[in-house]
Amino acid sequence: MGETDPDDHRMRACVREVYDEIASHFSKTRANPWPEIEAFLDDVSPGGLGLDVGCGNGRHLALVADRTDRALGLDASRALLAEARSRLSDVGEVTLLQGDAAGLPLAAGTVDVGLYVATIHHLPDRATRRASVDELARVLAPDGRALVSAWSTTHDRFDAPDDGEGFDTTVDWTLPDGRTVPRFYHIYAPPEFDADLAASDVAVEETFVSSGNCFARVRSDG
Amino acid sequence: MDEDLMDILCCPLDKHELELEVDEREGEEIIAGRLICTECGEAYPIEDGIPNLLPPDMREDAPA
Repeated sequence: MGETDPDDHRMRACVREVYDEIASHFSKTRANPWPEIEAFLDDVSPGGLGLDVGCGNGRHLALVADRTDRALGLDASRALLAEARSRLSDVGEVTLLQGDAAGLPLAAGTVDVGLYVATIHHLPDRATRRASVDELARVLAPDGRALVSAWSTTHDRFDAPDDGEGFDTTVDWTLPDGRTVPRFYHIYAPPEFDADLAASDVAVEETFVSSGNCFARVRSDG
Repeated sequence: MDEDLMDILCCPLDKHELELEVDEREGEEIIAGRLICTECGEAYPIEDGIPNLLPPDMREDAPA
């Protein structure tokens, strides 16, 4: 990966700061795992190294830990990692890392089971979003599999024209005291999501839309 | 973080190996210290048992 635009890094730092601010309240509203993720994890061969990129409060990390010998949770927000730690205190082999989805601090070919869920939509531009999927491809083991998801234009809350184009927006998070904190999102149109995945270094097994999100089941291309 | 994590961690910028410097440990667990890239020399802090491997300009102390 080449030089990254400093403004781009600043925007990602802003997203991190937002989650640092809302972590505790956000975490309380993120209790249950998604069925699409449970289904994916049911299909992977057990064992090996698991990775949850953008693990947030760790709601899916316990499931990854159940399926793998060791589960890594990576998030940009320190406060969310703290939520994950307290939530997962009685779960076995879980390791937390602070890091950036577009620059994973993991050696190539190490990850057997990957989740990259509801995170890519926080990256501010298309080149960075594609680079982050390339990063996922790089760290996946030759037989490794991963599930990628992003918020999509098909979600009920967006009154988007069905023109195959996604859009950038900010979505406010309202704290219990009524303050709102804006979060950057890129809302994917399903064809655009499919195109970004196809243009990346992962091998796409299938893509589908469910509950207002785009999903892709992917493999390493190696 | 566990010391055996060193086998799979790398520098987020240039993907080279990291060297571990320990300030505080509890058994196998590194509580405080830093990870230093053997290629570019960038130092990534380990605080409260969690390594901060964000690129330097995304860190909390990065100038806005």
